[in-house]
Amino acid sequence: MLWTLMGVPLLGAVLLFLAGQRMTRAVLAGSAGLVLLATLVLAGLAIAGDWQGHLAWSDTLALTLKLSTAGSVFAVTVPLIALPVIVYAGYHSVELRDDYRSVTASGERLIALLLAFVGAMQLLVLANDFLTLLIAWELVSACSWALISHRWDQKEVPQAAAQAFLVTRFGDLGLYIAAAAVFAGSGGFGFAGIAALDGGLLSVATAGIVLAAAAKSAQLPFSSWLFAAMAGPVPVSALLHSATLVAAGIYLLIRLQPSLSAVDWFAPLVIGLGLVTALAGGVVGIFQGHAKKLLAASTSAQYGLMWVAVGTGFPGVALLHFVAHAFFKAGLFLATGLAEGQTGSYQLQDMRQGRRLPGIALATFVMSLALAGMIPLGAAWSKEQIAAAAGQQSAWLVLLVALAGGLSALYATRFQLLAYGRRSQRARSILSYAPPPSRAESGSVLLMAWMTLLLSLVWWPDVQTWLGEALSISLPKSNAWELIVSLVLVLLGIAAGTILTRRQRGSRVWQERIAAWFGLPTAIQMIAQGVLWLCHFLARFDDRIVDAGLRGTARFASWLARLNAQKGEAFAEGVPGLVTRLSEWGSHWARQAQSGQTHHYYAGISLGLAAIFLILLIGALL
Amino acid sequence: MILTVAWVAPLLGAIALAAFPRWSETRARQWATAVAALSLLMLVIAWVGFDAAGPLFQHVDELRWVPSIGVAYRVGVDGIALAVATMSALLFVAAIIYPVNTLGQPRQYYAWMLFLQAMSLGVFLALDMLLFYVFFDLTLVGMFFLIGRWGHGTPDVSALKFFLYTFAGSLLLLLAIIGLYLSLDPYTFDMRVLIQQQPLAGSGLYAGLVFLALMLGFAIKTPLVPLHTWLPQAHVDAPGPVSAILAGVLLKMGTYGMIRLPFAMMQATFAKYSLIVGIVALVAILYGALVALGQSNLKRRIAYTSINHMGYTVLGIAVAAALFVDNPAARQLALTGATVEMIAHGLITGALFLICGSFWQRTGDYELDHYGGLAHQVPLLTGFTVLAAFASLGMPGLAGFVAEFQIFAGTFAIYPWLAVLAVLGILLTAALFLDMLRRLFFGELPSHLGQFSELKRAEWGVLGVLSLGILVIGIYPRFLLTLIEASSAILVGGR
Repeated sequence: MLWTLMGVPLLGAVLLFLAGQRMTRAVLAGSAGLVLLATLVLAGLAIAGDWQGHLAWSDTLALTLKLSTAGSVFAVTVPLIALPVIVYAGYHSVELRDDYRSVTASGERLIALLLAFVGAMQLLVLANDFLTLLIAWELVSACSWALISHRWDQKEVPQAAAQAFLVTRFGDLGLYIAAAAVFAGSGGFGFAGIAALDGGLLSVATAGIVLAAAAKSAQLPFSSWLFAAMAGPVPVSALLHSATLVAAGIYLLIRLQPSLSAVDWFAPLVIGLGLVTALAGGVVGIFQGHAKKLLAASTSAQYGLMWVAVGTGFPGVALLHFVAHAFFKAGLFLATGLAEGQTGSYQLQDMRQGRRLPGIALATFVMSLALAGMIPLGAAWSKEQIAAAAGQQSAWLVLLVALAGGLSALYATRFQLLAYGRRSQRARSILSYAPPPSRAESGSVLLMAWMTLLLSLVWWPDVQTWLGEALSISLPKSNAWELIVSLVLVLLGIAAGTILTRRQRGSRVWQERIAAWFGLPTAIQMIAQGVLWLCHFLARFDDRIVDAGLRGTARFASWLARLNAQKGEAFAEGVPGLVTRLSEWGSHWARQAQSGQTHHYYAGISLGLAAIFLILLIGALL
Repeated sequence: MILTVAWVAPLLGAIALAAFPRWSETRARQWATAVAALSLLMLVIAWVGFDAAGPLFQHVDELRWVPSIGVAYRVGVDGIALAVATMSALLFVAAIIYPVNTLGQPRQYYAWMLFLQAMSLGVFLALDMLLFYVFFDLTLVGMFFLIGRWGHGTPDVSALKFFLYTFAGSLLLLLAIIGLYLSLDPYTFDMRVLIQQQPLAGSGLYAGLVFLALMLGFAIKTPLVPLHTWLPQAHVDAPGPVSAILAGVLLKMGTYGMIRLPFAMMQATFAKYSLIVGIVALVAILYGALVALGQSNLKRRIAYTSINHMGYTVLGIAVAAALFVDNPAARQLALTGATVEMIAHGLITGALFLICGSFWQRTGDYELDHYGGLAHQVPLLTGFTVLAAFASLGMPGLAGFVAEFQIFAGTFAIYPWLAVLAVLGILLTAALFLDMLRRLFFGELPSHLGQFSELKRAEWGVLGVLSLGILVIGIYPRFLLTLIEASSAILVGGR
């Protein structure tokens, strides 16, 4: 029965793709929304009814589904986020045919792929073994490739999609190895098998899982693929950053943390990677001038904080921060799309849509505050919990987490002031005739803002206790000083962000380099170039050197044949010829001996007798 | 009886085509399709009647032939042979239906196709080594004429190179078969006796030489690096459907032969050299993928991915042969994976080469840089190519993944380092196929492709069936895995 959670969106995607001839936007978005609503209801039923799923491929290979705590939270959050996103996509990114009523085929494909994306993600969070996980893990990547390539007719877009796919697939290799290690150690592929592994295999499995999670979660050194993924439409980014592709990495860590923490380098590695990404991503966000890329850097940074929570031993805290982050980040992306719709550009300094879209500006303000980690929003609480979790390790860690929080406050302020701030002078709007966003689009953004506000309830102690019991997660004890330090840094960040935005100058080279992940994309580009160069070299090598052996053999054979034809044949002709000539000469000589004169014969006979006598004498003497 | 019908039917069909000179192109194609489909049907019936819990070889037919030297007409299948043979028959039906320019000689073309089908199925069904060798060599004859007469570019050169190179491999194979034959008492070519007696176990240099000759012979056919250079040239000059058969069926004879002869009959010797074979396979995997990425010719690129994929198969076989490791589950997984890789590669690469044929029919050009932006104009072709490309790069939910996952998991349990390096292959194949899709279908449409037409019904019908097979194996391969495991369990000694 648990298969329906994945099957309904996938089936919906197929049906929508096949049957979607000449639909209006409302029908397309509405039916996709209904599919997601059904998925949501099914998720609720599944959690209440404790459903399971099992499909045996063979005696060794079986696909198993099981609802874990983290999986349940994800299984509800994913369709909940996807629902407004897909409705928004139906109006924002789906284009109409020439009759201005029915949608284009590419629009239908976009919506169908978004549904399939949700289905694959549902499979991922329900998987209870590495085989199923790997299937879902790669399907999510493939869906995102197809979604990012939505505008395939532009030259750079397919390249960007391929880059995103390849970087995440590099991480997937880790999962292949991890699955193989679990099989080698336990004879099966179930998650439970990790417990049966001994030292070496457990280390290999853990390394593989961390690699896969880091690539998906856009942690360093993989962070920059998220920039490439920006070539996709806005709703794709919204879904990909909040609830699906990037979330898969942190989900895996949350799900497997209890087994993996047995490895002694797991915690330091995860904390280290997460913290470095959180700080670096914050710095990138501060200097980034492209609205979507700013949000992308912030995604890496926020997931970095979740990594810290997992590393310190509080996966439940990471789970809560994931939920909070999902709502405001999806909302911020959708709001960015609306601003772009007005100005035709993702450059932050071109936006400032505060006057044109005041309602959206207010909603974005709420979500930016959540990104900044400002009390009393839910995201602020989960961030404080991460700081408290870090406090279980050391005070320095708390300060670093708080610093990362301050940085996110800084770029959140910058984003809000630039994207939805008010223009200081009455500058001309580039696309002032652009139509205002449709009700569905702004409704989706508002819904996300309301959800963000609603999550503020977690500051209420009763809700916290309820959460702890319902999700059976342990929360770290927080100190007052940690909260105060965090808050001070958030306020400082907001102040700095405001000042930075006011004093706007043209960006310099070093700023642009930082904004582009400190040159990380260039490094990846160079690796790719190197591999390509090697490939071309090997292709030439194969044609010229390896095949040369074959051609050489052929040449040698034909040389041998020619040699045989000339010299060999001459020899073969010559030997019988020589024998003939010799025997001719012999017979001539013999004929000459038959002279008919008697004294010739007597001389011959006496020579013969002498020869016989000589031979007898030699025989007697020896 | 049923297996005999399966391979004799196409042979009779070929003779009929040769005997009736008045048949039109349509008539000839319909006849060839019907005969090929009959053969496929026989194999499907054999599949349904195969008892997974039964003995290794089933549906056995035996007929006295030359008893004095131990040669007999013996056919029969285990699960591995049956799976590969059925896939081959399906691919032949697909290749025969697929539209191709027969250069005004349709009867001859289809007759050679049917002849090739009969001989190919014979290779997979034979249980007598001499019979196996005869079929193995006669496939070369069929392929030689198909490439030489209906190819493009420099078909004579390619066909000759293909024939001579692989024929050299066959000669080594013949020597090895005689070596195996002489080791038995009484002499016989019966494969079952050889598998049961393992006559060369522990006989040092002699066994080593026989093994080397067998493996070299099959490595040329598979092909393994560095014995592969006949392959790209033969592919580039062959017509699309013939390429599909070459990659989908003929290459399998190399790996199937490895399983049937050295793996099954010389377990002790293979175990000794399994690591070396595994390393050679790893080189083929990485080298094949890297060189494929360096190609700018559509067909050459796909040809080189075959080297990569057959490398996975050989890796699985080598791992399964590591008798000294007490892990029959992992060895069985690797062998099953290797067999699934053969089936998957046959369907996937078969589909990709048929697609190449469609490109050639439309433009007569394989150069990737001359294409672009076709996605809007030919959505069906784009869809099938994307599916086949993703299947080939090992996307889960499609057939290739089922194979590669098992091979990696089995390999890691026995030779961890080989597995760690071999997975890099799927990253490279992902890069090369995404690059191929981008250059063919995305970006701007060049002006000279304005007339590029969508797939015809026969084309998308065939590709649809192959894609369905790829999908079904990818999602629920139980029917296939049950059949293969019935034999792989016996072969690795698990049952």
